[in-house]
This record gives sequence, C-alpha cells and structure tokens, in this order.
Amino acid sequence: MSAASHGASCGVVLGIVLVIFLQQIAYLDLSDLVPAIENLVIGAVVGGVLGALIGWALGRSYLARHATGETTAAK
Amino acid sequence: MRSRPPRAKHLRLPAAVLAFAVVVLLLNVPAPARAAPALQAITSQPNDSSSPFNVTWNGVDVSTAATSSSALAIDLSQSANLNYNWFTGSSAKLSVTDARLEMFYFGFAVSTRDQLVSGAIASARGNIPLSWTPLSIGFVLEGVYRLTATFLDNGTTLWSENFYVRGTAPLGFVALLPIVLLIIVVYELYGLVRSGRYAMLGRKSGGPPPSQPSAGTPPADATAPPETPAENNPPPSGGDS
Repeated sequence: MSAASHGASCGVVLGIVLVIFLQQIAYLDLSDLVPAIENLVIGAVVGGVLGALIGWALGRSYLARHATGETTAAK
Repeated sequence: MRSRPPRAKHLRLPAAVLAFAVVVLLLNVPAPARAAPALQAITSQPNDSSSPFNVTWNGVDVSTAATSSSALAIDLSQSANLNYNWFTGSSAKLSVTDARLEMFYFGFAVSTRDQLVSGAIASARGNIPLSWTPLSIGFVLEGVYRLTATFLDNGTTLWSENFYVRGTAPLGFVALLPIVLLIIVVYELYGLVRSGRYAMLGRKSGGPPPSQPSAGTPPADATAPPETPAENNPPPSGGDS
C-alpha cells in the first residue's frame, strides 16, 4: 500500500464521519435518506481525494527526509 | 552508539492531542440556526391556513419550524407537550382515532409516539394531547431532526406536517454518537498524519514483499523502515576502501 492510497482510505473514513458529525452539531440535516446519502458520498469523495493528496505529499516528504540515511548506508 | 528515535515518534502524542483539541473546540461553536440552507426545501406540505388541523409543541405552532434553519430548540431530556387540534369551522365533522409523532434519521423513523383515541366520535373540533420525552434518544443522538405530526383515522392519514427540532443532549453534555465520531476522527487523523511512512514500503516493493499493514490501521513501529541505518548498523571496518 502506498502513502497516497493509505491517505485516501483515511480520508474516505474521515469524510463520512465528518458529515455525520456535522449533523450532530446541527450544521447538516440528515433526516431524509436520499440527500443524506448524497452528502455521505460527497464527503467520502472529497475526503478520499484530499487524503490521497496529503498522503502523497507526506510520502514525498518522508522519502526526502530519509533519502540521506539510505545513501549513507549504501556507501 | 547514539540512536535517534524517528521524528514521528516525537510528534505522535502532540499531534493526537492537537487534533482532539481542535475537534472539541469545534463542538463549542454556538450552533443556532446554522443548518445548511440547501436542505431547507425538505419539507412536506406547506401549512395551509384553511386547514382545519393544527399542532402545537409546548404552545408553539409547529408550522413555524417548517425548515431546518428555523428548527425548534429543545432539550432532549425534557418532555414535550404536543396538542393536536382540529376545528372545521362548519358543520362538517372529523373523526380522529390516532395522533402520531415520528422522528426521522436517514429516512427511517427512529422514534414513534402514538396517542390512540378509543371510541372516537366525529366532531367539528377536538384536541388530543400527546406527551413525548425523548430521553433515551438524547443519550445517543443530538442535532437537527425532522419530525412528522400526523392525524389518522383508522389507519388513514387525514393530515400530516413536517417540522424540525434541534435537540441538545441531556445536561448539556455531548451524546454518545458524537463522542464515538470524535474518537474515529482522531484515530483517522493520526493514521493520515503517519501515512507518509507507507512511501518507504512502496519503494521497497522491488525486493522481497514486505509485511503489509492492514488498510484501516496506522503503521506500527515494527513495520516502520529502519531509521538511519548507518548509525544503528555501521559498516564493518575496512569497508571504506
């Protein structure tokens, strides 16, 4: 599993959970099924895309920070 | 030999505490009348002034809470007194055998309260009181919900109206579901912050396949790639020729 896909999986869960959480703090109304499902799907997609981007960026940062150590070990 | 722990180890606890603090602060933002206006159109029939039916919630006409932004603010630990009234204004008579109150979540009725009238007699005017204490729901849920008040005659719907309430948890504390959601949010944020470590696993995939961590769990320290191998395992002496 790459960093981007792991970030995407975390982002999907975060997006769905945040939509339900926003309803619990009275920002959203999830009383009816169809708009509620639409909100959950939108949250999952947005969360997945953002999570993938964040994971990809964190992966790049992690590799950049640890590339020096690998080079030293290879010498 | 000096071994430096990974930088993520230093950030683990502060990051989790920071994420938790941010979400808790979000909880304390005042929530009056801020439901999304895009969802306000989800109401059933408009309140017809010529309708002989009328429902009040603690003395307030429920037709004033027809949208989620104008929801009635209630404490879910307090009982609500509803009055189902009808007045035809003419010689026409109505028979009402059941006054029903339903609360919806994801399109399903999470709570239903019926006030049955035994031996109902048709009359031009009438009143059915209904008391509802959503205490058990209040421990689990809070937020904005759609309720439906219905007049029935032997199972046939005579009239119904949708209205919205904004419930707060008992004692002003958060309910069970928001607490569970907060825990999940903190856990997933922690996993997202640590997702950079998976980049090293993907790079090593050219060799023997590493042990893949599960998808829903953040990588444990055991699966993390070795940090600064040159410091922990120095090459044998004489290898620099």
